[in-house]
Amino acid sequence: MAFPYNSFSRTIRSIMSPRNLSQPSSIHLNQPQTPLFLKSPIHQTPLSSLTQFQTWAKTLIQSKGSNFPTIDNGPDTNHLFRELKWFLEDAGFNRDDDEDIVRLRVGLDELYLLWKQRIVERRPFQYVVGCEHWRDLVLSVEEGVLIPRPETEVIVDIVEELIKKEEEEEDENEVMMKEGLWVDLGTGSGALAIAIARALGKGGRVIATDLSPVAASVAGYNVGRYGLQDKIEIRIGSWFKPLEDVKREVVGLVSNPPYIPSDQILGLQAEVGKHEPRLALDGGENGMVDLLHLCEGAASVMKSGGFFAFETNGEMQSKFLLDFTMNKSKGCFRDVKIVSDHSGIQRFVTGFFV
Amino acid sequence: MRDKTGNISCVLADFYTLRKDVESTTERVQDIRDSAGLEQLEEDFLNLEKKSADTSLWDDRAKAQETLLALTDIKDKIKLLAEFKSQIEDAETIVKLTEEMESIDNGLLEEATGIIRNLSKALDQFELTQLLSGPYDKEGAVISITAGAGGTDAQDWADMLRRMYVRWGEKQCFKTRVVEKSMGEEAGIKSATIEIEGRYAYGYLSGEKGTHRIVRQSPFNSKGLRQTSFSGVEVMPLLPEESVGVEIPEEDLDISFSRAGGSGGQNVNKVETAVRIVHIPTGVAVRCTEERSQLANKIKALSRLKAKLLVIAEEQRASEIKQIRGDAVKAEWGQQIRNYVFHPYKLVKDVRTGIETSDIASVMDGEIEPFIKAFLKYKYSKNLKSSYVLL
Repeated sequence: MAFPYNSFSRTIRSIMSPRNLSQPSSIHLNQPQTPLFLKSPIHQTPLSSLTQFQTWAKTLIQSKGSNFPTIDNGPDTNHLFRELKWFLEDAGFNRDDDEDIVRLRVGLDELYLLWKQRIVERRPFQYVVGCEHWRDLVLSVEEGVLIPRPETEVIVDIVEELIKKEEEEEDENEVMMKEGLWVDLGTGSGALAIAIARALGKGGRVIATDLSPVAASVAGYNVGRYGLQDKIEIRIGSWFKPLEDVKREVVGLVSNPPYIPSDQILGLQAEVGKHEPRLALDGGENGMVDLLHLCEGAASVMKSGGFFAFETNGEMQSKFLLDFTMNKSKGCFRDVKIVSDHSGIQRFVTGFFV
Repeated sequence: MRDKTGNISCVLADFYTLRKDVESTTERVQDIRDSAGLEQLEEDFLNLEKKSADTSLWDDRAKAQETLLALTDIKDKIKLLAEFKSQIEDAETIVKLTEEMESIDNGLLEEATGIIRNLSKALDQFELTQLLSGPYDKEGAVISITAGAGGTDAQDWADMLRRMYVRWGEKQCFKTRVVEKSMGEEAGIKSATIEIEGRYAYGYLSGEKGTHRIVRQSPFNSKGLRQTSFSGVEVMPLLPEESVGVEIPEEDLDISFSRAGGSGGQNVNKVETAVRIVHIPTGVAVRCTEERSQLANKIKALSRLKAKLLVIAEEQRASEIKQIRGDAVKAEWGQQIRNYVFHPYKLVKDVRTGIETSDIASVMDGEIEPFIKAFLKYKYSKNLKSSYVLL
């Protein structure tokens, strides 16, 4: 597998450009972990031991996992069986082989340890294998970085459609969206930034920000893996702070900010509440602290006619934001609307800056 | 009878073997000539010949081309069938001659053995090309098994069918993978998808489509009552992505995604990214859950939907998907095709062909070859009556 390590270090340098020197030293502490499926298959393991492991892992699912849905709306046994299959695939076990010795990417001891963490500690599957399949991307994730959700894939659909529509209108001056500057605020693993960068034209650029140095380094790693280090710049800092130099230049602003009300964090399924970074989930008292901050601050960075899309906790939050943008910040936005996710939940608020 | 070296018993054994081979091959030739509908072929041939001699033939070039191709095709076939007959008659003559002679002529015997060997190969080839001549027959296959209503018994039955097809695939040395499996609550599976890569896998398996019925003493019922369960089997060709050159208008598709449950978004972390697509004009539906991202599931579901629509179009003799008559697309599972009775007696019987066996254990272990072959022949002779008449 081709793997652009060198490009990765370039991305990290770009993170440490002078304007982002707020926490540069911590970057060295956060060397991103290599996802399981990219490790070398150097652990020779007898097939019989692997079969034994599978039996053990299945038993563990059945004995411990069957009540997750009732405890906290966690995964059911079918989900867990599917995860086990993918776990073994990532670990290097290919069922089509009928060799007696399987070359795994982790030792047998670690295989047991990792699966125990998955079931007993409810460590998210994506942290166990160190990656998440999202759209057509495989993104590295680890503790400290929000695991991208399937719902968020829709934002990319919306952006792609916007760019397509702009192209169809065939006005040469109007390829602003395709060739302009986009910003992904609170990028986490870099999912939105990477998917959008791939949809943009030659001149299009993306700035991806995150307050968390861990997230920034993981995002940088993912950006490097897709060879987008010339298109995506990663900056560390809170919301609009790292954007001082691009005021009124941004043609597209997307964000999946923390939006869960603080008092609901405890009730979340264990994989989320106990393992994912609170920084990426907790949206304050009513969950809207950051979303409102984004709506208020957008005016300072957006170019006239620029587009925005924010993910919310759904329904009430979306309606509130719609009201807010139409009334309180009257005259700033136009064509603001609510877009539903694939489950029919009113998940996104999108619109244009006047 | 004795040969020149006087080695009687050995040569006799050879002769008896040959005689047996000749007898069975004679039967086979007869079968093939019967199922090929020789009389029908000759009638069609005369009709086509008349048409091709018609002065108006070239008024429609495309039609003329088609007619001439069909004529060549039918001529070749009749010739081949005639060759089979003359060859087996040669072999029969040698056998008769040897029986009447005082001694065995080794040269003649060898000649007859050679004829039978080559004829068998030619017959195999003929059968394959005749029986598996559909446009997708050469492709691999995707089998989806769905447990019927009735809970654990039906789910266990679905799992038995899954194993049967996996074993069959492995015995053919095809690359066989269970790509998706949804477990039942107590035992068995709710559904499974098997991908089988190998030449003619689809051609062989396409006849497995339909409802499979089991009758047995329920292992999940303490009273061991007799229980009837059903499972649905669907078969689609496994078409390479780029070969499915069909565009379906976006507005004809109803795409739905699995729900994460609850508030979704950041609240939930589940690996469920299933995608279901319904083709609105026909009501044909597919579901894909085995990929790890929603987009990947959507792409795969779409390519499966296309494969399914192409097959339906072919069955309906429609030249494109737009022409599929939605009302004619039968219920998802289609008709009941086979019964598997475990109790009170043991019998597997195909409803369509009438083929049956009491060796139910072998069938469940993947020995479904006789059923497949019988169905292919059945389908072939059924189609034959209409194929050339259309022109």
